[in-house]
This record gives sequence, C-alpha cells and structure tokens, in this order.
Amino acid sequence: MAHFLRHYGSLIGMAAIVLFFWVMLPDTFMTARNWLNISQQLAMLIVVAVTMTVVMVMGDFDLSVGAMASLAGVVAAVLFTFGWPVWAAVLAALAVGLLGGLVNGALISLIGILPFVATLATLTMYSGAAFMVSDGKTIFGKAIPEAFAAFAKSGIPIGTVADKPAVLPWLTVLALAITAAVWVVLEQTTYGRRLYAIGGNAEAARLAGVKVAWLRLSAFAFTGVGAAVAGLMYASRVASANPTQGDGLMLTAIAAVFLGMTVTRDGQPRVLASLAGVVVLGVMDNGLTQLQVDSYVREVMVGAIILLAVSISALGRKAVGLR
Amino acid sequence: MPRLTLSGLTKAYGPACALDGAALDLRGGEVHALMGENGAGKSTLIRILAGLERADGGTLLMNDAPLRLGSPAAAKAAGFRFLHQELQVVPGLSVAENMHLSRPYPLRFGLVNWRALAAAAQGALVRLGVSHIAPRAPMSALGPGDQMLVRIAATLLPEDGPAPWAYVMDEPTAALTGAEAARLFDAISRLKSQGAAILYVSHRMDEVMALATRVTVLRDGAHVSTRAIAETSRDQIIHDMTGRALADLYPKQGEGISAPLLSIRNLRAGPLQGISLDLGRGEVLGIAGLSGSGRNALLRALIGAIPRQGEVTLDGAALGKTPAQTWAQGLAYVPRERRTEGLMLGRALSETVTLPHLRALSPLGLLRRGRESALVARLSEQVRLKATSARQPTAELSGGNQQKVLFARALAGDSKVLLLDEPTRGVDVGAKFDIYALIRDLVAKGVAVILVSSDLPEVIGLSDRIAVLHAGRITRTLPATGLTEAALLDLCYQPETA
Repeated sequence: MAHFLRHYGSLIGMAAIVLFFWVMLPDTFMTARNWLNISQQLAMLIVVAVTMTVVMVMGDFDLSVGAMASLAGVVAAVLFTFGWPVWAAVLAALAVGLLGGLVNGALISLIGILPFVATLATLTMYSGAAFMVSDGKTIFGKAIPEAFAAFAKSGIPIGTVADKPAVLPWLTVLALAITAAVWVVLEQTTYGRRLYAIGGNAEAARLAGVKVAWLRLSAFAFTGVGAAVAGLMYASRVASANPTQGDGLMLTAIAAVFLGMTVTRDGQPRVLASLAGVVVLGVMDNGLTQLQVDSYVREVMVGAIILLAVSISALGRKAVGLR
Repeated sequence: MPRLTLSGLTKAYGPACALDGAALDLRGGEVHALMGENGAGKSTLIRILAGLERADGGTLLMNDAPLRLGSPAAAKAAGFRFLHQELQVVPGLSVAENMHLSRPYPLRFGLVNWRALAAAAQGALVRLGVSHIAPRAPMSALGPGDQMLVRIAATLLPEDGPAPWAYVMDEPTAALTGAEAARLFDAISRLKSQGAAILYVSHRMDEVMALATRVTVLRDGAHVSTRAIAETSRDQIIHDMTGRALADLYPKQGEGISAPLLSIRNLRAGPLQGISLDLGRGEVLGIAGLSGSGRNALLRALIGAIPRQGEVTLDGAALGKTPAQTWAQGLAYVPRERRTEGLMLGRALSETVTLPHLRALSPLGLLRRGRESALVARLSEQVRLKATSARQPTAELSGGNQQKVLFARALAGDSKVLLLDEPTRGVDVGAKFDIYALIRDLVAKGVAVILVSSDLPEVIGLSDRIAVLHAGRITRTLPATGLTEAALLDLCYQPETA
C-alpha cells in the first residue's frame, strides 16, 4: 500500500485534479481552446522550471531566475528604444542571462558560497539592475517592435476549433522544444549523467573524475539563459517590459519541480516530471479562476496541494524505508 | 552471575527468513564472539537484543526468567549497551559533555556544574583504565578509537537504574588502527574482569582468536556452533561460517615482476615527505603504517584527490593531477570510505560503476545505454555481485556487495593500476574471498596494485612487497614472504631504518 501510494499517489492526485475541473466545468475546461490557452500561459513557467531542474538535479537551486527574467526583458526593451534590431536585442538579453548564470555558478562552485545565499544575493542585484536599466518604468507601446510582439501572438495553424481558426502558439512550441532539449541533455548525455552523479554524492563524483566545479558552473549558466528566454517570452506576450514582471516565476518554478519530484520513481528531479508539475499548477490556476475562486483563496489552495503531494511522497518513502 | 539465554529464535521479513533457529548464551565475565557471513542473521539478532525488532518465535531467558524486550528502553533496563561501528558523537562538544548526552548534567544553583561534570567523566574513564583522554578536550580532537573509549566510559557513569552488564559491540575496530584497537582491547578486558559480558561481532579472525572466550557462529539465520576459543581453530570457525573448508585464506601471489609501470619520485602531498616507489606490472605493493603515517594520503595524492608535488609517471607518461586525468590514464581507485567517497547510495548501482568511464563509453557525449548495461552485466558477473538488477539503488546492497560495486567500477576501464584503500573493511568472509580471488585474477593479467590496509595479515598475505610508511616517509621496503604480523607491526612503530 505504501509502495503503491509512493509510486502512484501523486499521479493519481494529478489526474484527480484534472478530472475534478472537467466535471465542474463541463463546457469550458476540457476544450482544445482552453488547453491551448493554458499552454500559452504556462510557456514561460515551463521554460524556467525545466531549466531550474538542471541545477536541482545537483541538489542546488537558483533563486535569481525571476529577477533574471525581468532583467532580460527590460534589457531587450531598452535596446529596442535605442533602435537595435530585434535579433541583436534578443541576443544581448540572452547574453545577460548567460553572464548572470555564470556569476551564480562562479560564486557557488569556485568561491564555495551556498546556492541559497549566493542566488539570494544575486536575486537582489539582478532585480536592482532591472530597475536601473529601465529607470523603474514600464517600457511599452511604440518602443516594442511589432515583430517582437507578434511572436507571442502567432503560431502554427492547426485547423479550426469550434468554427474558429486555432493556432498552436509559438510560445508553447518554444517551451516544448526547450523541454525536449533539456530532456535530451539531462537524460541522454554523459553531461546529464554527471550532474545526477553530483547530486548523488558530490565527493564520490569528484574522486571518480567528474569535474564538479566546471559542471556546476555550466549548469547555473544553463539556468540563467533559461530565465532570460522566459523573460523575453513574457515581454513578447505582454508587448512590454517592466522590472518586476518575472518575479513570480521563481517560487512557482521551484514548487513545480518539487511537485514533479513526487512522481519520479527515485524521488529525483526529472525534466518531464517538472513539466507535469507546471501543468498541474497551471491547471489548478486556470480551473479555479474559471470557478471564480478568489485569487487569495486560490493561493492558499495551491500551496496546500503542494504540501499534500510532498507529504504523501515523504510518508510513502518513510514506510518503504522501514520495510 | 547474570546470564542470558536465547534459543530457537525465528524472525522473517516477508518471505525472507532472517533468523531460523538462532541461539546464543551469554555469561557475565566473558567475551563472546558472534560470527557469520553477511546475511547470517547477526544484525537481526542484535536488533532483537536492542529492542528494535521482536522475534517471531523462540525464547529469551535472563537468569532463567522470561525476558521481554519490546523497546530500546526495555533493552537498556535489562542492562544491555550497544556500540556500533558508526559512532554517534557530537564533535563540537567536549568529552565530558558527550558522555552526558543522554543524562542530566550535574547542576549547582540551577546552572551546569562544569567541574562536577568533568570529574564524573574523569571517574568513568579511570574505571575503564583510560588515562590519556582529558574530559574537557573537544570530541573532534579525538581519533575514532578514543571516541569509542569515551562512548564505553559513558556507560560506566553512575546510573539511576540497574547498571549495565552486557555490551554488544558491532565491528568496533572497523575504523581503528592497530594501536587504537589495542587500547580498546584493554578496555574490553577491564570490563570483562569487572563481570560484564561482551558480545563481540567482528569479521576479523585474529581479534576474535585473541580476545574472545567463546565463539558462536550463525549461518543462514541458524545456530551452527558455540565453541570455546581455547578448543577451536581458525579453520574450524571459517568452516562453520562458510560451510566449506578453506585451505588457504589468501590466493597465491603474482610472480615475475617486470619493468616498472608506475614510478613515483619524491612525492610530497599532505603528510607525505618525499616518497619514491616503483611498481611493476602484475605486482601487489602493500603499504603498511599506522594511522596518520600518510598511507591514505598516498593513494589520494596519486588519484589526484589532493594536490601533490614530485614526479609520477605511468607507463612512461607523466601522471595527471586531477581524478579525471588519472582515471583516463588507467588508474582506478577504491576509496577507504565507500559510502562517502565512492558510492552514490540513492542511485542505480550501474551509475556508480560507469561514472569514471563515461567518456570512453559514450564517444559523442550521448549515453549508450546498451553498451553500458552490457558492460555492467559483464562486470557484475566478474566480481560476483549479488543484486536484483543493475538499476537497484546501491544503498540496498550489503557492505560486501557495495564494495564489489566499487571493484566493478575499478575494472570497467581496463585499468593498469589499482589503488585499494582498505578493500575488505566491514566485508564478510565470503565477499572477502571473492575480492582476494579477483585481485589474483587481475594481477595475473598484468594489473599492478597498491594496497593499503590496516588488516596486517591481509597486507602480508596479498602483497609481493611491502613498503612501511612512518610519519610520511618510507622507512623500509621488503618482500612479504615469510614476514609475520608481529614483525610487521613492530616495523610500523620504528621511525628509522636500523
């Protein structure tokens, strides 16, 4: 029983959540349009959560991703106001993400600061930098090139749904492509295997020839770029950028990875599990909004669900451990 | 004289039968060795005594009255005390405070009376015959042997309830040097002469022969024999444990040492002060030395775990200075602390096996799972690993099989030189023989081995040559043939070449 709960408890819970909204919202929830909508809303969170997974497999985490997303968004927007072409501004924003990730990685792997402390400090710095770059203002309107905003508004046509043309949004496509890429890196390459080895036992990994410092540095760079991509996606979607718009991503992304860890066989972070975690959180948000549940109540419920899932998983593991 | 009699004990975990007619009788004033291969039921028997498990059947009698052991508190009230190989100490606190961890501190005016605390600790240490440990010293300054003595002394503090009379020691010398073990044996003799009973679990035959009064052997959960040490022999006990006769504990050594494979010149690292050694193909070089002599640092320096200076060449090429380089060049390392330095306990055992060899296994950086599982399957067979599958988490394996995982890892890359640090520590006799046989096979194929072990008979039995390390220098290098344990131990204590 404990075994069963541990392996399938969270999956059943996730299915139950989807089923619940399906029953409660028979007309609107289980529709292609709603799911396309959910997927577009969740695209940024998916990118942050799957790239966060890269550092979480080592047992680390990155608190600065939300601030980095905001910073990347405003950097691109400010460069647009200087008349930079879209590709150049986007590349510059990604470079900022890479640099920020490398700074995190260097603080943690070369200087040896705990990830919590190091990324808490850089969260503050990146957030401050976003305010400095944007002068504390929202950049919107004519400053944002049409081509940049159009990306989030368009997609791949997939026929008609309910007599209206439907598209698979580019944001969704990009998020799924990044998920697939990170899945390949973590599950199918020696690089990913070594990251999991560091999470399993960093000292043993070092003595077995794993270049722990270099791998940690690069993993944080990965996460930094992921955060920048998410920030750009967000800016494109709302056709504007302000220095706080990415802030909410960090905690939700970490929550999604933890939620995902409850469904994996060995309790480790896995990319597809993180994706499932994001979807469950997004579905709850979408469904509860449609049920017109007050947003404060919604937050309490989402937090409670996360705790419930993690508790069941922890209890299951304890029961299995006793044998 | 208190006396404990267990008979016909059974205990099953699901379909697996851990105890199937185990028996033991323990008298005050004796050291009673409990022996058996891993899985023989020793741990389960101890867990029952400790009140952590209940037997399914059988009788427990203390002074001919039935004994109920439902909880650790009941076991304590019955006078049992348990000392495990992994010590629970608080390194930041003093010796005296560690001794009082589960007891009220002496108070004066409601505040801790530090002087009385230290005096109580001192008194208990003296009763154990220990004079070299200061009660106010921080626990972290003590070696594992002294920490063990402190733990034992703590049981001699005045008790509220009945005083302890039986000590259960599970592999107490696993982490100790010879000198530390000798001190522990003094303390054990002292306890024995004070009328206590010591149930002594160890894989080390020499200790048992020297220390024990009687020995009980379990096999497959059942009682095999209880013999007086004076009337039995090493071969008899091994026969009882394994059910097979073992003509020779150690496989025959490799012969014909050719050109040097690994050459070390003036190596300096940590405590090492200029080590020069040559190692030939197919040679086993034993390193003997006391703890702190630098024997552990030598292997760590060679694999690249700690920085080193000096010249080291492998097959004529300079040896790299990081573990990534040295593994790639054909060095393989079995570290001393397998749990913290070798294994990824929560992960599949195959991942530990292939970790140092991923580059060779996966040319483009993409995992080739087919090749990987074929390699792991071949190696598992070669080291006689007992596991349900290659995906089984390493934590679920017994100590001997965990060690075999590290041997499989060492063999995976066609290694030229094996660095073995305490390769059979905490490993049962059966796995020990497998490991010895494996070393012999490898040596026959031309692999060279540097062996560090505090088990002196093992060093003598396996090595072709032995280098004696003292305070970071090699004081002697001599052939192993004909060397006795006593002579080697004597050499370990001598600072200079005579």
